[in-house]
Amino acid sequence: MQQAGHAQSGDQIKRSRRHEGPRNHLIAFAISIILTILAFAAVSIPGLSKGFVFTLLVLMAILQVLVQLAFWMHLKDRGHFWAILTMIFGALVVVYAVASAELWTWFA
Amino acid sequence: MSHAHAEGNSIESLERRTLEGRNKILGFWIFLGAEVVIFGTLFAAHIGLRSEVNFGPSGSELFSLPIVAIMTALLLTSSMTSVMAIQAMHRHDAKGVAVWLAVTVLLALGFLALEIYEFTHYVHEYGFDIQMSPFSTTFYVLVGCHGLHVAIGIIWISLLIGQLFKKGLTVVTAPKIYVASLYWHFIDVVWVFIFTVVYLMGKVG
Repeated sequence: MQQAGHAQSGDQIKRSRRHEGPRNHLIAFAISIILTILAFAAVSIPGLSKGFVFTLLVLMAILQVLVQLAFWMHLKDRGHFWAILTMIFGALVVVYAVASAELWTWFA
Repeated sequence: MSHAHAEGNSIESLERRTLEGRNKILGFWIFLGAEVVIFGTLFAAHIGLRSEVNFGPSGSELFSLPIVAIMTALLLTSSMTSVMAIQAMHRHDAKGVAVWLAVTVLLALGFLALEIYEFTHYVHEYGFDIQMSPFSTTFYVLVGCHGLHVAIGIIWISLLIGQLFKKGLTVVTAPKIYVASLYWHFIDVVWVFIFTVVYLMGKVG
């Protein structure tokens, strides 16, 4: 019993060293909320050019996704090399597919 | 318990303490890479065909941004509550995990109800069904595929809550809960692109 209690407290110390607590996750939440509000606001402001709004929207979406991948899905933590690689390869296919669709409809 | 402890890695969190748990997480990331490709190709089809409205309504005539904003808020909050579930798991607080997962499921149900309302509204008020136009086909397949993922996530996480009550937090259940939270974050990541590309850009034209 005493042994278990000791291990528990030892665990506690090591855990507190490893787990960051909710602070970074709440910051990621706040950034996501702000970027979402800005995106919805950008389409409500009259007089902005379509090209500018589209570029802004895509950049803010990519930024929000990177924040969520890094903090909520822990890609910034150690031991995530292969996980990051799966996302990079997935993203390459997406860029290729979207670019193909865009070019196809431009020239069709 | 003392064996698992003696095995070393007491610094590692519960979900990474066994080789099986670590492999489960890596395997799930490979699955998510494939999911990126699925959604990416559906996005490509929608981006390529979104102005082919075939005498039907266009996105700017159809979409109502307030309902999309509410759906976005529900899903973003549910992603945050699944973070809180993992935080509770790292405190070895099984009850906290169950509560936060239940909140996540409730928010997801709200999202799904709004999406079903939205789709039926489009069909009944605008005749905007899946056969209407290339725009409608790619819209329903892309957004519907995401909605299906939400529905699967609701069933999956609900079953995990049941298993948590039965078996508690162990090196077996912890990786399952961690992987489900990864899945849930991924659903929100896809939604960020859906509300941006489909709804906001569709509204602008």
